[in-house]
Amino acid sequence: MSSSGRRSRQSSSGSSRISDDQIIDLVSKLHQLLPEIRTTRRPNKASANKVLQETCNYIRDLHKEVDNLSERLSQLLSTIDANSPEAAIIRSLI
Amino acid sequence: MKERMPNSSALMKQEFLKKWIKGLQIYSSFKKEMTIFERKKAIKLSADVAIASTRNASTHWSRALMSDVSTDDANHAAKIVVAQISGRKVEKYSSSKGLMMTCSNKILRRSRVASRCRRTRGVGTSVKARSIARKVVKNRTRVLKSLVPGGQEMDGVCLIKETLDYIASLRVQVDVMRHLAAAAERLDPPQRSIL
Repeated sequence: MSSSGRRSRQSSSGSSRISDDQIIDLVSKLHQLLPEIRTTRRPNKASANKVLQETCNYIRDLHKEVDNLSERLSQLLSTIDANSPEAAIIRSLI
Repeated sequence: MKERMPNSSALMKQEFLKKWIKGLQIYSSFKKEMTIFERKKAIKLSADVAIASTRNASTHWSRALMSDVSTDDANHAAKIVVAQISGRKVEKYSSSKGLMMTCSNKILRRSRVASRCRRTRGVGTSVKARSIARKVVKNRTRVLKSLVPGGQEMDGVCLIKETLDYIASLRVQVDVMRHLAAAAERLDPPQRSIL
């Protein structure tokens, strides 16, 4: 984002607002992470909303998955047969 | 992301795995027998600290995360985990430090210019629609700030940059955890597994 000097139109007052140029930037980068986002040619406030929504949903999903995986790992590692040699390897990690 | 090299993701995964395991070993040294719930918390916290430390304090979210964990007085093991994994003492991270100051000042300067321009334009019927749209974006932005560690202190540009980095890191974290879970499942004889 070294092109920030070129931006002439910025959002006014409230520090939490994001400008159009920044949305364009975010859309293009998020596009690589989330191919299912539909991008319009002229990113306007409507698509900015959609992008932000998708982003928030995605982060929430990732958080949930970390939580589920932690739960699963915690259960798996408590029931592994203590005698198997492979289990000993994993056991030694925990 | 295009600017990252092809195998940097693999390196990041390795670094994360190593640090995660280190964190878990520290936890085990604190407590030999853990309940499933305690183990889950240990696994999750070690994973979060490990992924944050792969950024080497170069991002706001990672600093905020480490700071939150290590200033939680109720959790001694967590503090040690953070100190060992990051290799330094982690202090309370406040928004008045370097990076955020620069971001805030830039945004403030630009927004002052913008509000001057905006006032000279005439008021049209689309103004109401635009202001509603702005409110929606503002609300969504607020939600995003609550999801990214340290997000409350971020402005516009910073929030977006940090979000992108945070998402990329979360994906690495999830990926490695998923693989370990799959491997552990294969070792676990079917009749014993709890699902």
